[in-house]
Amino acid sequence: MKDLQPFDHRPDPVLGDALRRALDPGVDGAAFVARVLARAAQERVASWDAVLARWARPGVAAAVLVAVAAGFLLGRAAARPPAGARPTVTDVLIAPPAHPGEVDVVLASVIEN
Amino acid sequence: MTEPQPPREAARIAQEEEAGLVARAVAGDRAAFGVLVERYAGVARRVARAVLGNPADADDAAQDAMLSALVKLEQYDRRRPFGPWLLRIVANAATDRRRRRTVRHVEPLDVGLTAGGPRPDTTAERWALGERLRQALAELPERRRMAVVLFDVEGYSHAEIALILKLPEGTVRSEVFHARRRLRTLLADWKEEG
Repeated sequence: MKDLQPFDHRPDPVLGDALRRALDPGVDGAAFVARVLARAAQERVASWDAVLARWARPGVAAAVLVAVAAGFLLGRAAARPPAGARPTVTDVLIAPPAHPGEVDVVLASVIEN
Repeated sequence: MTEPQPPREAARIAQEEEAGLVARAVAGDRAAFGVLVERYAGVARRVARAVLGNPADADDAAQDAMLSALVKLEQYDRRRPFGPWLLRIVANAATDRRRRRTVRHVEPLDVGLTAGGPRPDTTAERWALGERLRQALAELPERRRMAVVLFDVEGYSHAEIALILKLPEGTVRSEVFHARRRLRTLLADWKEEG
């Protein structure tokens, strides 16, 4: 082991090695990694569940609102008279006038011309 | 054949690679997160053990930290090195767990061991030295323990440790120095006994 100087900026390999051996968790590194990844997968599923749960109430409320609005619009449409009851432009043009002109007025006009 | 990379260049490449892994992990790539966990599992467990002593507690803390890091990955600044960012989370997780720990307790320190007790037989020598070092570490203040492990075991610089432990760099230097002085005394006693 090298002599220790105050605030030495170089790692001490002997001390480092001894400490590493003392703190090393052993050979079950792969098991630890597998455990963390399994938990991460669970957390991810759980977080999706939490997201869905968080949105469940607003989602149901929004669906109810949409259903009510759709029902209202459909109801209004059904209450209106059918489109055929209204006179179309063609009907108005072809139909005979409600007050046809007097025959004598027409004759007089023709005679004058 | 590829030329060997100078350490600084190698570190830069590793950092770029880690930023890519983080980006993929954020996008939901489990394999990328797996690579990061695999890469940092050892150091995370050792740092947690330096704080907690008990290996099972240390593994729980390291796992909590990894999962916490996964949740916070989007907050990680990819221009900075990943290791110190992760180890800060590990250090916090271990410290929190130690504060919360009520059921498990640290075993009482055997003064005879740290003061240079009788030397165990050679078959148990390595185990006994490890035990002595763990007990000596347990005697040190927490941040001193973490500082010396991060510096001498994991090879982080004083500046990086300052970032991890949220301490001034000068304080980190001082903590490493005092921890080493204590641990070196213990190792020297061990050698003399040998």
